[in-house]
Amino acid sequence: MRFLKQAFALTLALALLLLSGCADPAAREDESASRSVFAMDTVMDVTAYGPNGEKAAVAAVNRITELEQAFSVTIDDSDIYAVNHAYGKPVTVSDDTAALLSEALRFCMLTHGALDVSVYPVLKAWGFTTQDYRVPKADELQELLARVDYAKVQCDGNTVTVPANMEIDLGSVAKGYTGDQIMQIFRDNGVTSGMVSLGGNVQTLGSKPDGSPWRIAIQNPLGDGYVGVVEVRDEAVVTSGGYERYFERDGEVYWHIIDPATGAPAKNGVISATIVSGSGTRCDALSTALFILGADGAETYWRTHGDFDYLLVLEDGSIVVSQGIADRFTVADDWANHNLTVVTK
Amino acid sequence: MKKTSFWIILIAAVALLAGAAALWLHFHHPDAAVANIYLDGECIRSIDLNDVTEPEIFTVEGEIGTNTIQVEPGRIRVTHAECPDQICVQMGWLTSEGGMPIVCLPNKLVISLDDVPAKIGDAEIDGVVG
Amino acid sequence: MRWSTRQLSLMALLTAIALAIHVAEAQIPAPVPIPGVKLGLANIVTVWAMFSLGPGPALMILVARILLGSLFSGVMSLMYSLAGGLLCYCVMLLLRRFLTREQIWVASVIGAVFHNIGQILVAIVVTGTPAIVSYLPILLISGIAAGLFTGVAAQYLVNRMDKTK
Repeated sequence: MRFLKQAFALTLALALLLLSGCADPAAREDESASRSVFAMDTVMDVTAYGPNGEKAAVAAVNRITELEQAFSVTIDDSDIYAVNHAYGKPVTVSDDTAALLSEALRFCMLTHGALDVSVYPVLKAWGFTTQDYRVPKADELQELLARVDYAKVQCDGNTVTVPANMEIDLGSVAKGYTGDQIMQIFRDNGVTSGMVSLGGNVQTLGSKPDGSPWRIAIQNPLGDGYVGVVEVRDEAVVTSGGYERYFERDGEVYWHIIDPATGAPAKNGVISATIVSGSGTRCDALSTALFILGADGAETYWRTHGDFDYLLVLEDGSIVVSQGIADRFTVADDWANHNLTVVTK
Repeated sequence: MKKTSFWIILIAAVALLAGAAALWLHFHHPDAAVANIYLDGECIRSIDLNDVTEPEIFTVEGEIGTNTIQVEPGRIRVTHAECPDQICVQMGWLTSEGGMPIVCLPNKLVISLDDVPAKIGDAEIDGVVG
Repeated sequence: MRWSTRQLSLMALLTAIALAIHVAEAQIPAPVPIPGVKLGLANIVTVWAMFSLGPGPALMILVARILLGSLFSGVMSLMYSLAGGLLCYCVMLLLRRFLTREQIWVASVIGAVFHNIGQILVAIVVTGTPAIVSYLPILLISGIAAGLFTGVAAQYLVNRMDKTK
């Protein structure tokens, strides 16, 4: 009788053991390391997967701090602060600043000045840098626009010269460059899967640990929720939208994306411009430029250069996507009844 | 001790009520036909079956494998499932006329017909731009 | 709890029988493609044990059968079987006080209904999708039908065993 009891108990115990063995989650290969840091006026989230993730995430955060020191317009020992306060004298800058500025100037040229790193004095006049918003008078803008011309900014090796009455700001490309740099740090540390979210910019390395693409949602420029989701691998996704920073005066909305041609907020029919490409810097520069260029200008630029894909949300709520992301863009259901146009080559 | 007739009446009543509810569910035509696809409790996609013009086939990655979902104008079904019981495949089409949700319990997949699209779950989104 | 050798060997035997029935039934393809719809023949053993051996042995047999059964049908089904089985057990335990020896089949019917309710609750929790509650009516009906079948079988079994005593 004892034996039977024990046998019964043993069978039960054995069953439980086997079951718990099965239920034990397999060793997780997708362990991840995440860090959040506040830099460049935004919260940055770094996530790296795999055994080297921890090391890579720490290195990435250090790099972010380093880059902010170089690019900030307000930190008074930054490279940018130095060139803006040199009154036309040449200034020797760090490798990062030189690399980013020359890349930014290249996009200023490619976009024929739709992107202009020297638009900063106008941005200040509108109060977007201090949140002390005002609407400058037309003649004030004319006077300021005379001081806006990226072509007068010289970048020769590590020597940068900005004319005395001009000021530059790399805010429209700094986060994109930071994303590129973090991807490099991930690779250097042997990380093959990772993502960084830089306050509205997202950049990805490889695929998700399970091999599926990263799913990046594009914020709804007209309200809550998302326009849709785009699937990416090894790419950056950057959106510029008028809703990000704006103020209202006398029923008129003024946003922070300034058209260097007019000195006023760019209103060419676009309310949100998203760029997908392998380079964060390119995405960042073109999201601003295509927002300013409008739907037709964006299409022309894309046909000419084509090393990226884009998605625009227009004033009337219609969506325009270039063919390269048409297949990997899923429109959110509350946007399904909006017009969607695919631009093909 | 209750009489046997009491139990018979009780069981019959429950059966009748359930039958009525089942019939109502079966013949009740929803005002709209939005197929909400849930994976592990999060809505990953909402498809208005009445708005479908182009047939589409896509797969979703669940707990134990993939489910292949086929969408045609007015209907949706699971065509392949990497699960042992294959119940979700045998369930066949869920049409815009209404019907019970398609479920794959092993993969935690549910396709249910609702009047409105469910909010797309944040779990299916890795990042947000804008 | 002190069980006699006779009782213990009977329990072991019944567990083996229940498990064999359970495994055999799992080989039969589902009659309708609705999750949770099945005959639950192994419940005949639980019902009989509940009314002939008492609640203690019935619980042991039930739990042993479910745990061992999940070795065959996978851990995924364990939660569903446990939730359904234990809820069914509790209801039958309660009903035992109100039923005569000729009404045992009633316990099986109501037990089967609660077995399905337990399973649907687990399914809602596991999938996180309350929408599948719409399966409740059809599962209630299938539970009543399956419960009637197994209940009548268990009733016959009890009647026969009582006579042979």
